[in-house]
Amino acid sequence: MRLEITGLTKRYGKQAALNDLNLTIHEGGVLVLIGPSGGGKSTLLRVIGGLETPDSGTVTLHGERLPVTESGLLAYRRANGFLFQQFNLFPHLDALRNLTLPLETVHGQTPEQAKATAEEALERFGLLAHAHKRPAELSGGQQQRVGIARAVASKPRVLFLDEPTSALDPEMTAEVLELVQELAEGGQRIVLSTHEMGFARAVADQVAFLAEGKVIESGPPREWFENPASEHARRFLSKVLRYL
Amino acid sequence: MTASRRNWNLIAGLAIVLSFAAFCFLIFSGLRGGWNWQGPWEARELLFKGWKTTLWISLSALVGSLLVGLLLMLGQRSPLVVVRWTCRLFLEFVRETPLVVQLLVGYFLIFAPLLSRPLDNIGWDEKLIIGIILLSLFEGAYLGEIFRGGVESIPRTQWESARAVGFNRVQVYRYVIFPQALRRVLPAVAGQFVSLIKDSSLLSVIGAPEFFYQSRVYVSKSYAGLEAYIPLALGYLILTAPIAILSHRLERRFRDET
Ligand SMILES: Nc1ncnc2c1ncn2[C@@H]1O[C@H](COP(=O)(O)OP(=O)(O)OP(=O)(O)O)[C@@H](O)[C@H]1O
Ligand SMILES: [Mg+2]
Repeated sequence: MRLEITGLTKRYGKQAALNDLNLTIHEGGVLVLIGPSGGGKSTLLRVIGGLETPDSGTVTLHGERLPVTESGLLAYRRANGFLFQQFNLFPHLDALRNLTLPLETVHGQTPEQAKATAEEALERFGLLAHAHKRPAELSGGQQQRVGIARAVASKPRVLFLDEPTSALDPEMTAEVLELVQELAEGGQRIVLSTHEMGFARAVADQVAFLAEGKVIESGPPREWFENPASEHARRFLSKVLRYL
Repeated sequence: MTASRRNWNLIAGLAIVLSFAAFCFLIFSGLRGGWNWQGPWEARELLFKGWKTTLWISLSALVGSLLVGLLLMLGQRSPLVVVRWTCRLFLEFVRETPLVVQLLVGYFLIFAPLLSRPLDNIGWDEKLIIGIILLSLFEGAYLGEIFRGGVESIPRTQWESARAVGFNRVQVYRYVIFPQALRRVLPAVAGQFVSLIKDSSLLSVIGAPEFFYQSRVYVSKSYAGLEAYIPLALGYLILTAPIAILSHRLERRFRDET
């Protein structure tokens, strides 16, 4: 994955969620964003996921500038996938329809193609048995997995995941993380934020440590976890790793 | 149910039935000349014609008010401040003045001078058409508010997820927001439709030949009494009851679904 971000700023009122943020990634399929709450991880994901427009700065993904027009952003969102913490699925549709609807209406597949694609995606994640259940009839973990299946069914260039497990209990967290790991091993490019340090370390090719709207440091997980350069990251790690 | 609760139920039921019977007796014994169903029966064609007109008005205004309501809802969510304000102003005006006044002003001052001639020329009943337009605007203002409440009650996460899967603006509404909002507003919309049917009786003030108007014509011609108003009540009930029943059905179905 090639990602270059320069001078990225996003304000909500007076609050700067992203404050002149810079980040350059040259290689590695999985980028993990780590950092204290309120550090700007979600905001960064939303901007590079095409859901929010920054106030200033540029993002270049694989040599292409992030579009600024609404129609450009729409096309960009269609080419990538996004998953939030929770409530991703449309509650009035069953799992299968949650997958087929965007395939038909956004990606131009015929109903038969969409059904085949969707069933293949559900099958792959062991969810086919739940195809005809509505979100309310699925566990939180199953909902997130169906959400991921929906996001990857259209073969996104990059999959953005914002704390995909933070609303789940440990058992469900494990099943979702396994799935993400599987995707990563299959070559899916992923940018995700998480508070699960063990998982971050295992799955990441690159980590970026965000605090106060900036990337404080970034690099391969091994080095960063063993020996963070900044005092800020060291304090953060010692706090979150205390009980591991 | 306990035995004593059952006894009390029985006693209360009897008391209600008895007082209702006494009430009816008092009223009907006060009628001079007793019942006379001859009159309404002879006027049945006139009354039925009025009833059919009311049905027609109701159906047209139902569609019309849906359109108006939808436009007002979308207008209030427009990115343009001017559009938002205009819709808001119209809505407040319509909801804060009596329908009778709107009908009289709207007919005699606004629409009749504009539309009477052209409508007559193509052979349409101008009173009916203008009445339908005015009724659609009035009920549409209420529907607009109901729709707005429904759309705004859909949580932010649904709008975001809809955008995230790549739906454009229209698709977001069509596939995600409307289907969910519809389930929430259904009871209120059904209630509004029932109101619409009942409110259509006010079109008599501009002389639209609907059910209430024809009943009045008949009563004033024949000096008939209470008999004429009983078919009137039943006639409206036949129109409104199915909507109420259907709405309860759908409500239950949607509740079971989620
Ligand atoms: N829609 C918004 N309106 C106002 N302020 C916002 C909004 N979104 C984020 N912020 C603010 O921007 C800052 C960064 O928030 P962000 O959600 O990006 O942090 P985060 O790193 O994802 O935190 P967490 O780990 O708690 O999810 C926070 O101070 C937050 O209060
Ligand atoms: Mg966040």
